[in-house]
Amino acid sequence: MRSHEPAQKVLLEIRSLSKHFGGLQAIADVNLDLPSGVITTLVGPNGAGKTTIFNLVTGHLSASSGTIHWLGESLAGQAPWRIARKGIARTFQDLRLFSHMTVEENVQTVMERSSWLWQRKTPEMAAKLEQVLQETGLIHKRDQRAVDLAYAERKFLSLARIMASDSFLWLLDEPASGLDPRSFDRFVELLKTYAQRGVTICIIEHNLDIVIRLSDTVAFLDQGRILAQGTSDEILKDPHLAAIYFGDR
Amino acid sequence: MLAYLQNIAVLFAINAILAMALNFIMGYAGIFSLAQAVFFGIGAYTAGYIALNVSDSLLLSMATAMGISAVLSMALALPALRVRGEYFVAASLGLQMIGVTIFSEWKSVTGGLGGLVGVPPPVIFGYTLTSTGEFLALATVILLAILSITALLVRGSFGRSLMALRDSESAAQAYGKNVNTVKTLSVAVSAALASLGGVIYAFYMSFVNVEVFTLEMSILLMAMVIIGGTGTLLGPVVGAAIVMALPAALTYLPFIPPGELGTIQQIIYGSAMVLLMMFRPGGLVGGRSKGKTA
Repeated sequence: MRSHEPAQKVLLEIRSLSKHFGGLQAIADVNLDLPSGVITTLVGPNGAGKTTIFNLVTGHLSASSGTIHWLGESLAGQAPWRIARKGIARTFQDLRLFSHMTVEENVQTVMERSSWLWQRKTPEMAAKLEQVLQETGLIHKRDQRAVDLAYAERKFLSLARIMASDSFLWLLDEPASGLDPRSFDRFVELLKTYAQRGVTICIIEHNLDIVIRLSDTVAFLDQGRILAQGTSDEILKDPHLAAIYFGDR
Repeated sequence: MLAYLQNIAVLFAINAILAMALNFIMGYAGIFSLAQAVFFGIGAYTAGYIALNVSDSLLLSMATAMGISAVLSMALALPALRVRGEYFVAASLGLQMIGVTIFSEWKSVTGGLGGLVGVPPPVIFGYTLTSTGEFLALATVILLAILSITALLVRGSFGRSLMALRDSESAAQAYGKNVNTVKTLSVAVSAALASLGGVIYAFYMSFVNVEVFTLEMSILLMAMVIIGGTGTLLGPVVGAAIVMALPAALTYLPFIPPGELGTIQQIIYGSAMVLLMMFRPGGLVGGRSKGKTA
């Protein structure tokens, strides 16, 4: 875990962000900065609005009010694919792998951004494909379809796609949930490695182990609002937040 | 006998072209269209009209038919951009109905219910195609060309994009796929390829009539793709061969009375579809599991 330097450049700036679905207020007046190179974790009980924030940032939902700026540019009204091409990538809680494609095809296709009928596979793409498959331990499964993989392998494939995407902000939605301890350790090490290579990571996670081991800063959400932000120590040791998280309030 | 077999083979090649074109969007992009016969019709009417009024050049007819079909495919692409699954099937059904109505009512171009009669034989590089054998050669060359083009596309980056949005549109978008462009292009390619089947058909039959381009034809084409295997390269060809060969094969079974042939054929089609979906949902080429890629 690296120290949080206040001078770091803010990549993503969220201000007064709100989203309501009819009468349901999913997100209310959220302010959040994601500085370059900092690992931020969003924690909070189910329904706190964590995934909604990801959906708003990536353009899968449009905000009711408030702003999201990426490197100073507003993301309002932009399609998800445009936002992705700016360098923001995400994973999904339910993985959303390209199930009937092979492992290799899953990874290769995220590197191919052109919508035209043909895109040449460059030597750099081929090298990156090999590297990602090697790092995620999927090299020997490259010809297997995603749907035929074991659960942990699917999780690593989900990570492999984002690793291959060339994005420098990763939004990871419960990336390590359900992993066995050995896979979990490998997973955390991979995230650390990529963070050291300069990738900015924002994670939604219920697993407190990953929060402690990875986070530079933690934002605690409940009922669509950020109640507190600080180091993992500060947040996890706050009895009031713990009561909310474990449903004892 | 040879002429009969050649005739079956030409019709098989035309159906295989149409099924492959449908499979391009259905098998790879997950766009289940019930309007494929419309693009078959656009190709046939374009070729018929050009041959009767402008030129008997095969290449001109093919290029024009492909261009018109690709442009008109936007009518199919628009609903595909907004809805998926059963909603899109319903939208394509509407387009099929509109297409048949235009074919039968736009008399100055399509000849109305009477159709276009006496389409002259096509000319390519100064050579006029007249015999069934020559048409078989033409249909085979075009079939192989479409097979090659499809193989090239689906095994390349575009095919992966199609399959990605078929499997998870939201994830495809989240990784930078411009879903609207990919879908629009895929529908245009499919429509253009299907129109080639119509061009061959118009010249081969020297007659174009709306009865061939109905919903029944669209369903039959979908059946060919499903029987052969959606999302496989050779599946539509195998499916077309089976659907085309079945009526001919049944005529050789002595215990089936000729008058009952049509009824028994329908029962066999229906039973085959049910059994296939139960035991081999991926189709004959696709294997046991659903949605296997080629």
